[in-house]
Amino acid sequence: MSLQVADPQAAGAGRRAGFLLDVLRERKAAVIGLSIIVFFIVLSLVAPYISPHSATAQTCAVYAPPSLHHWLGCDDGGIDMLSEIMQGGRISLLVGFAATLVAMVIGGGVGIGSGYFGGWLDALLMRITDYLLVIPDLVFMMVIADVWGASLFHVIMVIGILEWTTTARIIRAQVLSVRERVYIKRTKGLGASNARIIWRHILPQVGPLLIANTVLTVAIAIYLETALAFLGLEDPSVTTWGTILEHAFNRTAVSSGAWWAIVPDGFVIALVIVGCFLFGQAIEDALNPRLKVSHFSMRRWQLRPLVGRGPGAI
Amino acid sequence: MHRADYVIKRGFFALVTVFVAITINFFLFRVLPGSAVTDLSRVPHATPQLRRALTVEFGLDRPKWEQYLLYLRNLLHGNMGISFAYQQPVSHLLIADLKNTIPMVTVGTFASIVVGVVSGVLSAQRRGSVPDHISTNIAIFAYAFPTQWLGLMLLILFAGILPAGGMENQFLLTPEPFWQHLGDITTHMILPAATLMLTAYGSFTLVVRSSMLETMGEDYVLTARAKGLSDRLIVWRHAVRNALLPMVTLIALSLGYIVGGALLIEVIFSWPGIGLGMFTAIGQRDYPMLQGGFLILTFSVILLNFIADLVYFRLDPRISE
Amino acid sequence: MSLLEVNGLHVWFDLPGGRQVHAVNGVSFSLDAGQRFGLVGESGCGKTTTILALMGLLPPTASVAGEVLIGGKSILAGGEDTVRRYRWREIAMVFQSAMNALNPVKRVGWQITEPMVYHGIAKGAEARKRAGDLLEMVGIPAAAGERYPHEFSGGMRQRAAIAMALACQPKILLADEPTTALDVMVQAQILELLTGLCDELGLAMVLVTHDLPVVAHLCERAAVMYAGEVVENGPVTDLYHAARHPYTRLLFAATPDLYGEDRVTSIKGAPPRLDREIQGCPFRPRCDVPLSRCEVEHPVLRTAGPDHQAACHRNEAVDVA
Repeated sequence: MSLQVADPQAAGAGRRAGFLLDVLRERKAAVIGLSIIVFFIVLSLVAPYISPHSATAQTCAVYAPPSLHHWLGCDDGGIDMLSEIMQGGRISLLVGFAATLVAMVIGGGVGIGSGYFGGWLDALLMRITDYLLVIPDLVFMMVIADVWGASLFHVIMVIGILEWTTTARIIRAQVLSVRERVYIKRTKGLGASNARIIWRHILPQVGPLLIANTVLTVAIAIYLETALAFLGLEDPSVTTWGTILEHAFNRTAVSSGAWWAIVPDGFVIALVIVGCFLFGQAIEDALNPRLKVSHFSMRRWQLRPLVGRGPGAI
Repeated sequence: MHRADYVIKRGFFALVTVFVAITINFFLFRVLPGSAVTDLSRVPHATPQLRRALTVEFGLDRPKWEQYLLYLRNLLHGNMGISFAYQQPVSHLLIADLKNTIPMVTVGTFASIVVGVVSGVLSAQRRGSVPDHISTNIAIFAYAFPTQWLGLMLLILFAGILPAGGMENQFLLTPEPFWQHLGDITTHMILPAATLMLTAYGSFTLVVRSSMLETMGEDYVLTARAKGLSDRLIVWRHAVRNALLPMVTLIALSLGYIVGGALLIEVIFSWPGIGLGMFTAIGQRDYPMLQGGFLILTFSVILLNFIADLVYFRLDPRISE
Repeated sequence: MSLLEVNGLHVWFDLPGGRQVHAVNGVSFSLDAGQRFGLVGESGCGKTTTILALMGLLPPTASVAGEVLIGGKSILAGGEDTVRRYRWREIAMVFQSAMNALNPVKRVGWQITEPMVYHGIAKGAEARKRAGDLLEMVGIPAAAGERYPHEFSGGMRQRAAIAMALACQPKILLADEPTTALDVMVQAQILELLTGLCDELGLAMVLVTHDLPVVAHLCERAAVMYAGEVVENGPVTDLYHAARHPYTRLLFAATPDLYGEDRVTSIKGAPPRLDREIQGCPFRPRCDVPLSRCEVEHPVLRTAGPDHQAACHRNEAVDVA
């Protein structure tokens, strides 16, 4: 018996939508993860319509505790916490997706260019990704965000510029293995342009893995957004999940005992990240099935008593 | 021989990365428009003499490439400039800060590794059981909660029981004897280090668990069992020993994350380390401090990555091929 | 009293959904010191499961019935925890692919001394010396013990695995396809080695293989397994030239004769599923000479000659009591 690692090409080949549906059908974690993500996207979209109160105007006392009118209490500005969280999610998710988009575009471009054209371009780009991987993310972002100034756009760009490396590697690996396939060579022989080959043949193969990577990058982006906001590097006039925590910290929520300004916000952030993680990880696991056998277990095999003897014994 | 080759290769890579980091730093702060260091009008409390001195020191009236070389030469001498806010050499200030950061981060990281490995191994042994599911899900959540949130939660829970900030008691009238001082620092370190442990252990647990599951399917584990060895030896001496290899790689990759986490933790707990120093520098527009902090932290991560490469190399005899 | 006696061994594996696979169905045979016994059959016939069961090396989904006696002692009666005492000391195994059966991060010599030390047979320098002697005995220089498995060639690794199996001086050696993963020249050497060792050390050996010429070369007696049952056993010459079960006959006929002009025949069809009770003879669907009885009556092992039994309705002889 040897360890079988599924060829990601084989898994994604030509049945992109089918593959994802299989994953959803077989893995509970994928369904849970996707549901969470969809839930929060929908919530963000309808938030302005279903928020109980304004997310910007004061509607209660400063640090008012949870009550019937304000289920999650109010923050340091007397703003309803629940509404703030619901609406803050819109920006947080927006930043998460936008930053991921930037990262995907850069990463995709680098990966495809590197894998397809090879040679010195490949070597150079891969060296660059190696170096960037070592540099600590948050510190680097801090420095950049500070030099450029605090704005949502800068935050999106900064996260995107630093998170493209994993995507690039994945896509490059796929491109390399697909490039060698006979039918690609034949297509090229027939005179197809590079762009067409890339678009029609290489991109579809990469589908599921790319989706997994995208989802996981969204999780990282959301995480980084909250960190940057916490350090005061985001536009303070905008409400995001990150700025909610920042306000709570800087305006003495802890010493005021206003846990409701902290706890629920952290939970929604964690939920979204967990959802992304479950979904993305389930796809990656499905593309890379592991042997189920184990030669060790805490549990033991069973003995059955021998009934009867001779040929009829069971 | 092969082994020396590997060390040299990784060492060279580390040096080049250092160089790249330095260059990026220079580019960010000197070349980009709106760079604060070049625009001396943004230096707070700048007297004409100070401006003159800075211009000479950093060669701001010379072409960029000359500035770059000057910058490199200064760095080689450990000169990272003068802090705008404190009017002292940046390197001195940052080294002092670093001395505070290192113990806290070391304790926290060490704890996260131990907790991660133990929980990962135990989970893998009991795969599919209820404790396994619980442990894995807690790990996922711990990893998903923002570091600053975990810190705030610990603050809320332990305010009054453990010190809520700082590294030591600031209000003593007379200096404490050594051991008491050490104890004071230790109690102050508990919450920050615990936060770091909580935020970092999750990824370790997950990787150790999946690495163990893969290792336990290897034939040499069956051989170990066939030899009549006890469960403990089969798991720890044979399975874990092999499963730890990916763990070393993961730790190296997580260093950036740990540094970021430590930064947030220092801000929350007012721990006077390099993270807090950089954070304060933002508010004070103290760009030399920021630059210097970035360089030192990046150097540290590069160095630790190199050490991790060596450790991996030591642990896996197959590497020299 | 035989050295190794297997009586009515059954092994079931649990399937998800509550059903079971009856992988080993009433296997019996016995061996004395110095004898070499072959266990042959197609993949999936249960031969590997059988010898794993002899050492109790089964997963938690397995249930076992029957007896395995070594020197008269029933070693499986107490479950996993008691069978451990016998492992490697009384009975040891050489696995199919030594590449994976050896721990890649431990030196080969250490892997040989490990069971010696664990079972208290030798330690320190004494153990190392014995390991060196064992390596020499299998044709590897003693100094090679300092190396790691990946530094050995395939044939050398298999020799090392044999040396390792002999570490605690077992009386019984089990070999699971010991030469399948090797090229032909090396195969012959390993087989010579095994024969020599058995003779020299008076070992009893059970050799599992699907490669019939290997059995012919090495073993005096053999059992043919099909669908988890022994369908014929006896001297190898009888199995080759006077087979009394159609499967045996077809199996040996399917082996291409290098010098002869026989056409290569294969057996059509596939073995039956083992997760449900089989009506009649399990080989009936693929048999070339079935009787009407064969649909409904499950054949039992009957004497077909001196020390020769077969489970086929075409044999008219006395029941094996």
